Amino acid sequence: MKNKNATVVIFWILSALIVAGLAGYIRWHALTTLNVDYDEDDYLRAAQQFTTIFRTGDWQALKDTNYRPEHPPLAKIVFGISLLPLPERPLIPDRPTSAGPNQYLPKDLLRNARITSAVFGTLTAALVALVNPIGGFFLAIHAFTTKYVSQVMLEALPALTSFLTALFYVKWKKRKGKGTGWLLLSGLFLGLTAASKYVYCVVGVAILVDWIIDAANKREARKIIVPIFFWGVFSVLIFFAANPYFWADPIGRLKETLLYYSSYSTTASEVTSAGYPFWQPLVYLFSTPKAWQPDAILVALDPLITLFAIVGFKRQMQKQSLYPIWVIVALVFLFIYPVKWPQYIVILTAPLCITAGEGAKTLILDPVSRWFAKMRSSKNSSRTHESQDTKAALPWLVPGFTIFLVFTILPLIFQIGVSFTNFNSISIKDGFEGGIFREVFGGIAGRIKPVITDFPFREKTVGYIGVNAYPTVLNFLTDNGFLFFDLFWTITSVAVQTLLGLIVALLLWQKNVFFKKGWEILFILPWAIPEMIGALMWVNVFAPETGWLSLGVSQFGGSFPFAFLNGWQDSSSMRLLVLLIAGVWYGFPFMMLAASAGLKLLPKEVYDAAAIDGANSVNIFRWITWPMLLPLLIPAVIVRSIFAFNQFYLFQVFQTGESTMAGLSYNFFNPSGYFINGQFAISAVINVITVGFLILFVSLLNKWNRTSEGVTYA
Amino acid sequence: MRKMNWVKKVVTQIILFIVGLYVIIPIWGAIRLAFDGSLKSRPIEFRLFPEVFSLKPLLATLDRPYQSVDFSVLLRNSMIVSLGAALIALVLGASLAYAFARYRFPGKKPALFLLLLAAMLPPVAFMTPLYIVLSILHLRTTLLGLTLVYATFALPFCIWNMRAGFQSVSKELEEAAFLDGANSLLTFWYISLPLALPAITIAGLLSFLMGYSEFAMGWLFVSKADTVTLAMSIYAMVQTGNAQPWSILASMFIIMSIPIVLVFVILQNTLLDRMLFTTQKSGN
Repeated sequence: MKNKNATVVIFWILSALIVAGLAGYIRWHALTTLNVDYDEDDYLRAAQQFTTIFRTGDWQALKDTNYRPEHPPLAKIVFGISLLPLPERPLIPDRPTSAGPNQYLPKDLLRNARITSAVFGTLTAALVALVNPIGGFFLAIHAFTTKYVSQVMLEALPALTSFLTALFYVKWKKRKGKGTGWLLLSGLFLGLTAASKYVYCVVGVAILVDWIIDAANKREARKIIVPIFFWGVFSVLIFFAANPYFWADPIGRLKETLLYYSSYSTTASEVTSAGYPFWQPLVYLFSTPKAWQPDAILVALDPLITLFAIVGFKRQMQKQSLYPIWVIVALVFLFIYPVKWPQYIVILTAPLCITAGEGAKTLILDPVSRWFAKMRSSKNSSRTHESQDTKAALPWLVPGFTIFLVFTILPLIFQIGVSFTNFNSISIKDGFEGGIFREVFGGIAGRIKPVITDFPFREKTVGYIGVNAYPTVLNFLTDNGFLFFDLFWTITSVAVQTLLGLIVALLLWQKNVFFKKGWEILFILPWAIPEMIGALMWVNVFAPETGWLSLGVSQFGGSFPFAFLNGWQDSSSMRLLVLLIAGVWYGFPFMMLAASAGLKLLPKEVYDAAAIDGANSVNIFRWITWPMLLPLLIPAVIVRSIFAFNQFYLFQVFQTGESTMAGLSYNFFNPSGYFINGQFAISAVINVITVGFLILFVSLLNKWNRTSEGVTYA
Repeated sequence: MRKMNWVKKVVTQIILFIVGLYVIIPIWGAIRLAFDGSLKSRPIEFRLFPEVFSLKPLLATLDRPYQSVDFSVLLRNSMIVSLGAALIALVLGASLAYAFARYRFPGKKPALFLLLLAAMLPPVAFMTPLYIVLSILHLRTTLLGLTLVYATFALPFCIWNMRAGFQSVSKELEEAAFLDGANSLLTFWYISLPLALPAITIAGLLSFLMGYSEFAMGWLFVSKADTVTLAMSIYAMVQTGNAQPWSILASMFIIMSIPIVLVFVILQNTLLDRMLFTTQKSGN
């Protein structure tokens, strides 16, 4: 037993060390190659002021020194300490927050301050690895995090202290309330976090939420009031203690800070002109900063980490709920907060990576270990019955599979072949005269070395490029937000149409609804009208200048119904809203029918029993209808999700610039298209990537259908 | 069991009315345009009803809606392509569907997964290889080529649905035929096929609809005026914009949608089952 424990401890320490090594390497590379970013000059200047104070010993000056006073001074003081060993340099000039990056900063100062950041960043990754080794690995390679913890930004220190805040709270939580020391440590680090950068305090809110949920589940709400109070007060005390700038005039300085934030977030030109939609933080999570400076970012797999986190959410919730709650609280805050700088996502990348670690276990480790277990057990089973059947099946199977192979499988395999080339509309002649086969077979056999081709492809003859197009296309999809939009569209449109479909189905399910059949037929119409025509009908409503809405507003002014939607084409949130209106219109009838079909299957006896017990309709829905209906609805939701993920005609008709991967593939392909056209090989790459995503969707559908006895492998 | 009081009834009707409005607004927008005889080009003012009610645009559409191409030609092309694709998918898919429905064989599970995956792929996923292969075969710009393209799109979905149809035929009937000395082909032809016919018709109908309402792939493959389908002509009319009255375009929406709407209203539950990828609940 003791030996086993020792092995586990060694495993955790080893994994933390490996993660630290990896994180350190990646951050070292970033800090030595990254260009100077916005704000780095500001914080370096602030650091220089503190360095001077330490050198001269003029401690009184601490109370009045805090360049860029909107952020508390702790992180800047730490940068100041890191500059102590270096010779003094002239103070970096003061410039407005909107000024571009200052590329002429003293190299030695920049380097010391960046190394300080990177050390904190590396420590955070190593600590995360102690909680979840895969999560630590993800944080080590997370590109956005790497970038911002390798620069003279205020992110690295509060990211570390906020994680420690969470870590010690979890430690205390696991001890079931014993060990007040851990709670004090948590409060200590929360105070230090607040003294570095305020937004990182979302961890405190997340802890409160987790604390309250936990107490509510255990029905001991009263027991937590005292510890919460002391934890909060202690962290506030630490905040003031670690924040010398507040010592002279706490109230005044606090007021000054609050005023700054309310005016900066609503009036600063760089904030208002950015025009980001509220979901911009999600766009960052589904993209990478690789395109900004490709040589500085070694690994750029952020979107994958986010996907893993989505998969792992439920499991992490059961294992340790604080981390997923932290992610959600931080996201809600970032949605509401009007300033949407990319560095803000660092407030949630640590818990995100832990959750992603759980997701990677679900998606990769578990299936692999199950497969191994299965391989071991299935070696001895007999197959006689099956082989008899196979003989009888052969006359049907041989022609059937031949056709399936020719029409479906071979084209898809051929597509993978095309994706290894730079085939495009200019090399079309060579391609059709055997160029594709020549290059693909030559390349796979190793006779042809992959050539490097710049995108977009405009070569006159087909060339083998191996898998070189894949990273380029993947980065294109993530960094331009196409992948994010596709997933975001899938989730929002399916959520809204499911909700609407469910509401309508429930309403029609009531007894004695007036005009029931009529309503039903009316609501089926959008489903029956071909998608392209339905979309065009909505274009007729929404088209700028020529549409119903636009004509109505120009004739009757702002009092026209839905006038606020006029001019929707200029804002990304409004474009999404209009696309949703059209997309949900087309999609909700299907969900309504699926829900109605499900409702008809529900046993009547249960409702009679509930009526006898005097349950009201809300309770009946919450405890009877919903739990019984949900498993029947899930296949429909997945089928609709696949459809939404592939949705094509709607975007093709609306032409807003938003597009799913299918639409993108078409427009890359189309030789006479308005986009970067005739890129046959690129379109093939996108299609192969799409197939990868659909494999995931179909696995889900299979799993759910099997549990709800829909698809049977009889 | 639960009597609705009148407040509940009124609220229900109000919500249904709002949703009904949402459903009807775009459709009414098209109807108002289709029956307006006064439109020369795009509409220039907001109207709830046609300025001059007229059947002329509708009749003109039924005559020659798009450039110099007759409606009958467009309809014929649409029918050749969609019916052809549906037939090809049905005939070619039948044997695999039957094998999946009736027999056990090694590799069946992964094969079914592959089939379901293929049925879920967007048509775009087949675009690149089909474009290249059909170009090499010099079939790309022909109606036969387009028929094959649509057949490819429809095939996996069609196989999946026919499999469901064959599964719903009771195994006992087949076994009885077998005992009476019929071989497996005869059993299939005289027992399974007729009994599964309703399900097969639905599979064919859905395959037909895929081709009937497709336009984007169509324009990649064919381009000559006499090989254009109805759906393709609508898109072309949208692209050319204001060259002709919008009533023609709107009439086209209505003419194209009516037959499908009728089919969907009549067959709603069956179609829903097919589109949910579930197997028939009777049988098996």
